Amino acid sequence: MSEYLGRARKGVAAAFGFLAGFDYYWRKIGHAFVTLISVTTITFVLFRLMPGNPAQAMRAQFEAQLEGSGQAADPEILDQMVQVHTGFDPSQPIYMQYFEYVRDIVLYQDFGQSIQYGDPVFDILFRAMPWSVFISVYGLALGYSTNILLGAAMAYKEGSRFDGTMTVVATFLNSIPYYVGALLFLAFFAHDLGWFPSGGRYDTSIEAGLNPAFMASIVHHGALPIMSSFIVGFGGGALAMRGNSVRILGADYLRVARLRGIGSVRIATRYVARNAILPLYTQMMIGIAAVFSSSVVLEYIFTYPGVGWYTFDAINMRDYPLLMGSFLFFTIVTLVGILLAEFTYGIVDPRAGSGGENESY
Amino acid sequence: MQYPNTHPNDATQMTQSLSNQEFQDGDPESILEVRDLDVIFDMDRGESRVLDGVSFDVHRDEMLGIVGESGSGKSMFASALLNAVVDPGRAGGEVIYDDPDAGPVDVLSLSEDQLESFRWEEVAMVFQGAMSSFNPTMKIDEHFEETIQAHGKPMDERMAHARDLLADLYLDPDRVLGSYPHELSGGMKQRALIALSLVLDPEVLVMDEPTAALDLLMQRSIMNLLDTLQAEYDLTIVFITHDLPLVAGLADRLAVMYAFEFVEYGPSEAVIRDAAHPYTRALLKSVPSVDAALEDMNPIEGESPDPVDTPAGCSYHPRCPLADEQCVAEDPDYHDVGEGRGAACFHWERSSEAVDYELGVDPVVPDEPSRAAHGDEETVISLEDLEVHFDQSGFIDRLFDQDATVRAVDGVDLEIAENEVVALVGESGCGKTTLGKTAIGLQEPTVGTVRYRGHDVWEAKRGEGEIDHDRIRRALQIVHQDPGSSLNPTRTVRTSLAAPLKRWRPDLNSSDRETVVHNLLERVGMKPAEDYALRFPHQLSGGEKQRVVLLRALLMSPDLILADEAVSALDVSLRVEMMELMLSLQELFDTSYLFISHDFANARYLAEKSGGRIGIMYLGNLVEIGPAEEIIHDPKHPYTKVLRWATPPLDPDAAREARETEPPIREIDIPDPTDPPSGCPFHTRCPEAREVCREREPELMGSEGEASLAACFREDDDHAYWESDPIVEESTLENTS
Ligand SMILES: Nc1ncnc2c1ncn2[C@@H]1O[C@H](COP(=O)(O)OP(=O)(O)OP(=O)(O)O)[C@@H](O)[C@H]1O
Ligand code: SF4
Ligand code: SF4
Ligand SMILES: [Mg+2]
Repeated sequence: MSEYLGRARKGVAAAFGFLAGFDYYWRKIGHAFVTLISVTTITFVLFRLMPGNPAQAMRAQFEAQLEGSGQAADPEILDQMVQVHTGFDPSQPIYMQYFEYVRDIVLYQDFGQSIQYGDPVFDILFRAMPWSVFISVYGLALGYSTNILLGAAMAYKEGSRFDGTMTVVATFLNSIPYYVGALLFLAFFAHDLGWFPSGGRYDTSIEAGLNPAFMASIVHHGALPIMSSFIVGFGGGALAMRGNSVRILGADYLRVARLRGIGSVRIATRYVARNAILPLYTQMMIGIAAVFSSSVVLEYIFTYPGVGWYTFDAINMRDYPLLMGSFLFFTIVTLVGILLAEFTYGIVDPRAGSGGENESY
Repeated sequence: MQYPNTHPNDATQMTQSLSNQEFQDGDPESILEVRDLDVIFDMDRGESRVLDGVSFDVHRDEMLGIVGESGSGKSMFASALLNAVVDPGRAGGEVIYDDPDAGPVDVLSLSEDQLESFRWEEVAMVFQGAMSSFNPTMKIDEHFEETIQAHGKPMDERMAHARDLLADLYLDPDRVLGSYPHELSGGMKQRALIALSLVLDPEVLVMDEPTAALDLLMQRSIMNLLDTLQAEYDLTIVFITHDLPLVAGLADRLAVMYAFEFVEYGPSEAVIRDAAHPYTRALLKSVPSVDAALEDMNPIEGESPDPVDTPAGCSYHPRCPLADEQCVAEDPDYHDVGEGRGAACFHWERSSEAVDYELGVDPVVPDEPSRAAHGDEETVISLEDLEVHFDQSGFIDRLFDQDATVRAVDGVDLEIAENEVVALVGESGCGKTTLGKTAIGLQEPTVGTVRYRGHDVWEAKRGEGEIDHDRIRRALQIVHQDPGSSLNPTRTVRTSLAAPLKRWRPDLNSSDRETVVHNLLERVGMKPAEDYALRFPHQLSGGEKQRVVLLRALLMSPDLILADEAVSALDVSLRVEMMELMLSLQELFDTSYLFISHDFANARYLAEKSGGRIGIMYLGNLVEIGPAEEIIHDPKHPYTKVLRWATPPLDPDAAREARETEPPIREIDIPDPTDPPSGCPFHTRCPEAREVCREREPELMGSEGEASLAACFREDDDHAYWESDPIVEESTLENTS
């Protein structure tokens, strides 16, 4: 009977634990949401209040355009134009403008209209996004796997010449800014050697579609940007992985596993790699955001029209609606990266969320 | 297990090649024969010989206890038995394993593949620091499965065996196998590890300090289980520990290691009763135990040798009172000192005169009542109805009214007088540290008050009291368990010690301060003081650091020092020395101690010697408190009796008796502190529990003519307890599955 009760109690406790677990996730989502709202607000406020008020500047720009084309600058028409582009009406009080801006984003995915392209910001970014994702994800995947393999190899050969050399190489690569790498790649591989194109996303002369030639041209064009974003993810990670692996190679459980006769493949994957990656995991997830933000400069250098390229362009052309839109885009990517890291950490590390068990009273 | 014929020796050849040894070779009794075993590390300072020509036999089906100070080479010996010395160490010599099926093999010359099947199938090992022997990202059952798979054994049969083993160790197999390592308590993990090491039915189990990180009670319980397992599965156990009393009663034979070799071996009882080697005798004398006479406990002078530069001749000669020229010049062989015994000493016959020790003497209870009983000393600290809660529940827990509060201290009253020593003893997690910290004002109580000489400490802290808070802070000091972390690594000993003087004795100038510091250092045996004063913490040994920390606390001239496990991290042979020092400084500085320890023997030493009190804590409650002698020799509360049982006596007769008695407890594991039992907190484990104990909570009460108080209904002859029915439920100790 008491056993039965005990089991029932355990069941209830587990149910509570389950809910409490969700509580944790909801709280994290809540945090992310609050961050997103704050960023939106700050962007908006900056946009309105920056010295030389961008909205004002935009207005002046339209005025000049209109005047240039010989039209009279009717303030109402100007206000209207500004509203079409930014999604808010400059003649209204600021909180109303803010409210409308947010409402448009949430309800209609309307981020306003790009000044220079005349298209909705959302459409531009939406079309550009897959390309940015393409180079970032491949760059990251390549960077992280190299980190892990190299770090583990260095740890296995700790103290050897290989280890020493690679430590220097990794430190060196880590200290080169990715844009310097990108420029060097461009200079060597594209201009000097001519192996890779110096810009564009694919060969426009090939018919777009699921044909091998087109695919190959995408890879060909993407190679250099991917290599450069690889540099973003590479370097420090390998050294950190090396450090973790060295620590785990000395761990008691590894020694015991070897004595138990566990095979070396299983030891390398299930014991060393798994445990060495854990501390890097969160950092790697957040690294997603770093890679995306590096795309602003990279895509510009390689004239690769992804989100980053449009962002850079928007800065140059003072295309404020587009700029605000991409700003939000990067914020969302960062937040998603962090959330992903938090949510999946519990899966990769069984100890997560049970912090206080080794407290002493 | 099949060995290709790699070993050149058959039994007869072996006998010949080793016939110059004084052991009987090819002894049918021996399962492991170790010959001229060396383990060498090449270090910058030179060649470090951490095992030095060890020759020794392990008998079949025995429990062999190996004892020795820290760094004496015990772990090296253990690893060498499995040819598993860590890189870059090299093992030389022979370790002959007499395989019951395949005949003798030399473990040190097996190939990698052969070793892989030798280990765990023939000889398994439980490591020192075994708490971290499981992969934190794998469930326990995966550990078992991968082991069985790696050795190509039938999975179902072996897993069934694993379940039996876990059940034998009083664990719930389903629960344990389905858990991640961090979800188990230390004691459970340790038992799961023992099961893991036995899953392939090895012949020999080598255990290197398997219980050192556990509570005494858990240690003893596991030791008892080992005894049962050994008989059940025909095991040979090699048990390594620095804790002599722990193995003394259980091991069949003992081997004492000093300076990287065995200096004495023999049947356990004979060695304990009348050790032949001066070192063994000194070790027996230095170990704090519950039954030896206090004046007999003495530290060993000097330091254990450095493996790079071991003294020539007998390695013990720098510390040995019997040493002469022969000892300096020649390395002694084993002398036959009795049946099956050997001692590496030229003058063993005279050792009993030179180093005298006695076992299990009934101490004469001092006539004069203890200081606490005087009642004329002023009270320094008084705790009234103290409770400290830690809230571990999250938002949702609270929403659903689920209480995850830990009552670390749950209603304690305690007064500490001037110059008094109060020692708190209890299992880990029972609230000792929290109570201590609350007593010195480091932790705010949830309920109740802490008074320093009548002033409320927390009122003073908020600036509402009449007394300056700085004065209280100075009067209440703490010495931590880990001396390393409490000293600033960038400060010399002198700077560390001068700081409190500067602050509290502004009348002293810097040369006065220096003199004070030097005098004190000399007083605590850190000579030459000028040299020690200029050292940094990393240039001190653990014991020396602890002395500096103690001095620093004393220089505040406090009224009370909280010494939280202050000697637990020190080597056994240094503990008595440190406690001696604490007592002599107590007289010098006029201070009281609140001494916290999980080890009854240490608490007893300090408290009994100063006529102080011992308090026993269980799940946040003070369940018994009273004069040290009374608690040790006449414990009343059933829990105190359990702790007392868990503290093994050195005397072989008493040890045998203790070994034969069943543990006076119904459950090995402590209840979940967030969900403490109703009524008497001990009723889930108490062997005397009756129905009434489930409902009502006993208060501390005394009985006629006794100074100690115990919170148990059995103290009250008229209590309803005596009419109540005993609690009968399937006890985990008798039946698990
Ligand atoms: N990896 C290593 N390299 C060099 N020397 C070592 C190494 N490991 C241990 N030693 C040295 O070997 C000697 C014996 O160490 P060992 O671990 O066997 O001691 P022990 O008796 O098990 O001590 P403890 O009770 O502290 O565990 C010590 O002097 C130690 O400093
Ligand atoms: S041989 Fe000499 S120095 Fe060594 S223990 Fe014996 S008496 Fe002491
Ligand atoms: S009150 Fe009951 S349960 Fe508690 S210690 Fe005494 S006999 Fe045991
Ligand atoms: Mg050891």
